Amino acid sequence: MAKYRGITVNPKRFERSQIKFYIILLPMIILALLPLIYIISTAFKPIEELFAYPPTFFVKNPTMANFRKLFGAAENTAFPMSLYLFNSIVATVAVVLLGCFISLMAAYALSKKRFKGRKSIFKANQLALMFVGSMLGIPRYLIIKGLGLTDTFWVNIIPLLIMPTGVFLLKQFIDDVPDSLIEASRIDGASEFRILMQIVYPIVKPAMATVAILFFQSAWNSTEASNMFINTEGFKTFAYYMNVLTSAGNGVAGRGMAAAASLIVVIPNIVLFIIMQSRVMDTMARSGIK
Amino acid sequence: MKKRTKETTLRTQNALTGLAFLTPWIIGLAVFTLYPIGYSMMMSVSNLEFKISGGIQATFAGMDMYRKIFTEDANFIPALLNTLKFIAFSTPMILVSSVILAMLLNKVPKGRGFFRALFFFPVVVISGPVMSKLIGNDATMLIQAGDYGVYQVIKSLPEIISTPLLYVFDNVVLILWYSGVQILIILAGLQKINKPIYEAASIDGASGWQIFWKITFPHLRPMILLCGIYTVVDLAAMPSTALAKLVSDNVERTDMMYSYSAALSWLYTLVVLIMLGVVFLLLKERKEKQDD
Repeated sequence: MAKYRGITVNPKRFERSQIKFYIILLPMIILALLPLIYIISTAFKPIEELFAYPPTFFVKNPTMANFRKLFGAAENTAFPMSLYLFNSIVATVAVVLLGCFISLMAAYALSKKRFKGRKSIFKANQLALMFVGSMLGIPRYLIIKGLGLTDTFWVNIIPLLIMPTGVFLLKQFIDDVPDSLIEASRIDGASEFRILMQIVYPIVKPAMATVAILFFQSAWNSTEASNMFINTEGFKTFAYYMNVLTSAGNGVAGRGMAAAASLIVVIPNIVLFIIMQSRVMDTMARSGIK
Repeated sequence: MKKRTKETTLRTQNALTGLAFLTPWIIGLAVFTLYPIGYSMMMSVSNLEFKISGGIQATFAGMDMYRKIFTEDANFIPALLNTLKFIAFSTPMILVSSVILAMLLNKVPKGRGFFRALFFFPVVVISGPVMSKLIGNDATMLIQAGDYGVYQVIKSLPEIISTPLLYVFDNVVLILWYSGVQILIILAGLQKINKPIYEAASIDGASGWQIFWKITFPHLRPMILLCGIYTVVDLAAMPSTALAKLVSDNVERTDMMYSYSAALSWLYTLVVLIMLGVVFLLLKERKEKQDD
């Protein structure tokens, strides 16, 4: 795709006139980073600073005490931290891969296939999107019990595979894929599955990456299954474990530990995001479709 | 005649592959979401009795719960208004700022990916379970602490100026933290607009303002609608809205276990639906105008 010089959209070169954009963007960035700065700062605060009033935002004398306390508490539990970590990694990888795949298939079918009930299925998805999650707990519990999923490892994976938001976002993006492109590949003899993976998937990659991140978060941060459905300690997840460790020391002093724990939990999210975001970049423009 | 049969089979085949692709997801949606939604509907019109053996005895109670919400619950109307106000004010602010930020990002030659990543950051950071507990514990403290230096400066101004400024300032944080996904979507939309259109417009002497309203905005409209829906749902799903709190506070009510909060959450869903309807009416594509 040719790029035009001298137009302000998508410029390639840096010019002095663009400085004003950076000046507006920078303070926004700082605000956007506040939660992370806050959590890092709190995680390294010594106990006196946690109690300080008015509370300070930045840490003055950084210390590892909160982390030491956290790992100290971890040594007193019956199972090693690595077990929970392993569980979380397996569950998260499974949820992201399967979830993305199921959502992509569903979104493609909802967007490009014509069959009876297509619209009502999409409406059902939207209803699911709007319903307040907290109230579904009890019926969900009954179902998971009925399916015999309680106290198995599967309960960490299966209930998380369905994310109405994911299908909704993907469907909107697949709507923009021109039908002619799909028809052309069908005439060339591509199977439906191949069309999905080699034509549709590359075009909607940016949306896919967003959905993957959402899936990752729902799985990696999930404590619900471990809390409600699993008794066997060996099946529980890392986020749950961190939650339990920090809830021991509640109150102001516990806040430092909680911040340390959430910093540890959030690091994989950040790393994954940094890896993903470069892939998301400009895929839309490069796909060669106007 | 032959042609017609072939067409029919093609269409059937098309429908069948579509259904095959949908099956795993439909099963999941039905089992883990639709059935629970239906069940909560049932709960909201019943009196539930929990047996020691583990079973649940439901007796039909009609609209009892709903009537109680409106006539007896003093917390309901304030919570409803509070939530409505929160969503109705925040959604346009989030949408406008995501469009502005996305357009700024689109004009930046260097480090666009980097900047965009930073705006998406809060989405990644905030959602952790421990983090949400932390924010839930001292949500106000986090905001105050965040604003520390600037806050004092603004507070020292006369009250007439400082009150709205502080309001905007508080909301700037909220807006930025909840517009990560929206910025991504709108930026993707912006990248799809053909550059020759802009070129043609500027050759014809259109001003930047005109270009925005005549070219950029109409192109972005579907994306903005998508973002509007996403934002309303995202905000409504926050466990900290007044209505969501009311729902979870009432779950364990001993006299009307689960039923009362089931009814409340149905009302909440209805409110969200109405707001989505408004968003849809405001932002949907105006077909008649384009035909002229």
